[in-house]
Amino acid sequence: MIVAKRKPFNEIKELVSGSKRILILGCGTCVAVCLAGGEKEVAILASQLKMALALEDQDTKTDELTIERQCDREFIEEINNKVNVDDYDLILSTACGAGVQLVSDVFDHKVVVPALNTTFIGVAEGPGIWTERCRSCSDCVLAETGGICPVTICAKGLVNGPCGGTRHGKCEIDPEKDCAWALIYNRLKKIGRLDRMEQTLPPKKYGADRYPARIVHEAYRRRYE
Amino acid sequence: MAKSFEEALASGNFLVTASIDAPKGTDLEDAARLIDKLKGILDALGVSDNPCAAMRMSPWAVCRLVLEKGVEPILHVACRDRNRLALQSDLLAAASLGIHNILCVSGDHIKFGDHEDAKPVHDIDSVHLLAAAKAMEEGRDITGNALRGTAAFCLGAVANPEADPVEPQLIKVDKKIKAGASFLVTHPVFNMENLKQFIEHVRQSHVKVFAGVRLLVPEEVAHYRDGSCPGLFVPEKLLEEIQGADIAKCVGIAANMVKEIKSAALCHGIHITAPGHEEKIPDILKAGGIEAGS
Repeated sequence: MIVAKRKPFNEIKELVSGSKRILILGCGTCVAVCLAGGEKEVAILASQLKMALALEDQDTKTDELTIERQCDREFIEEINNKVNVDDYDLILSTACGAGVQLVSDVFDHKVVVPALNTTFIGVAEGPGIWTERCRSCSDCVLAETGGICPVTICAKGLVNGPCGGTRHGKCEIDPEKDCAWALIYNRLKKIGRLDRMEQTLPPKKYGADRYPARIVHEAYRRRYE
Repeated sequence: MAKSFEEALASGNFLVTASIDAPKGTDLEDAARLIDKLKGILDALGVSDNPCAAMRMSPWAVCRLVLEKGVEPILHVACRDRNRLALQSDLLAAASLGIHNILCVSGDHIKFGDHEDAKPVHDIDSVHLLAAAKAMEEGRDITGNALRGTAAFCLGAVANPEADPVEPQLIKVDKKIKAGASFLVTHPVFNMENLKQFIEHVRQSHVKVFAGVRLLVPEEVAHYRDGSCPGLFVPEKLLEEIQGADIAKCVGIAANMVKEIKSAALCHGIHITAPGHEEKIPDILKAGGIEAGS
């Protein structure tokens, strides 16, 4: 899932400052799971903003609404069934960057600003802890590296083995973080595929990662191309 | 003119190299003085590439000065700051300037440097960079496009015999040798057993190994301890010895390492680093029993 974290409160306050009516728009999918931008987080942010803006004597009204996904037009277009978007002079989105942009596309006559910094594609390691696992490079090497991504987990994204900084199996930039190549070595050894590590992987095909990326499913090709 | 580094590698002599940092600015006077001081006692002098991710002058400019002063330069090239186009451009520029000895490195992480918010590039890694340089010797770039005029390089790579675990390090070293490294420079080594195992591993190859020796100084002990000198794993006992030592004692400690490595007859040479104290390199070598031209 996409993991995000809320921007510092003062930055958010600056972004919305001067607006009379604000719609705080939550997203019920990834950012809800990572406790950054779902219904509960929208409620907390709304309370904080109300108090802070009132202390500054700003005459601001905030409303809250959380939809299932902000990365899907279908759900965004339903917003007007619940509120009148034209009642607001600013939409504060607590979605990831993709969601913020699609809301901005759908309501392209409105000011839409982000409340979160989108951080990574990752997994939940346990309650309240998420780690990055994928950089969506479009050139996956996991089959060669025992299911551990060196592009993501190695701080330098090295694809042919570690730098010289591995100590006690940890990364040179943070003794709390595992060295990706120590993990990969151990995993490949465990699954009997250490020979994979002896192969030199070619330079990554960043041409396949040319952004902004676009994928059209085969079945829909005629519709879009 | 001293013999080329490649010839020196083939000589079978115990070789001595060192590296210096390029200036932080345009003033080359200190570098020039240092090169003069080191001339005649080294087989080659390397110039680091934004060491510890701190921005400095491009090392090829200093390497050219090294060359003009009659010393064999080794250009360090880090994959951290340039993509594959820029790295290859610099290799061609180096070759055209007469700089043929290239040390291909990943580069210390941006975190350790003076531009913490910079984007680490790492478009290709040190194995790929070696392969790119090798391809240039055959008149091609990394994607196979023909070059007009070929390059001739003597290629080196780095390794850390004290990395833990060391096995992934050794697998990568094999890849570097296969990609074209003819010499290896190790991170500073403090445990001779680690160096011995490393040399055992690469013994079957043609590669020449330079064991790293670093002048440790008291003002940096905190950095050695907290891991802010990446890849430098100084034993606690040695740190205690360095703490409070004067520079003469530090030089003596480095000289003892030189003696120990040379007398063990494990490797083909040593590579001295003394960040901020490069003027002490001649003293380290002298006290370490290395005669000029030996």
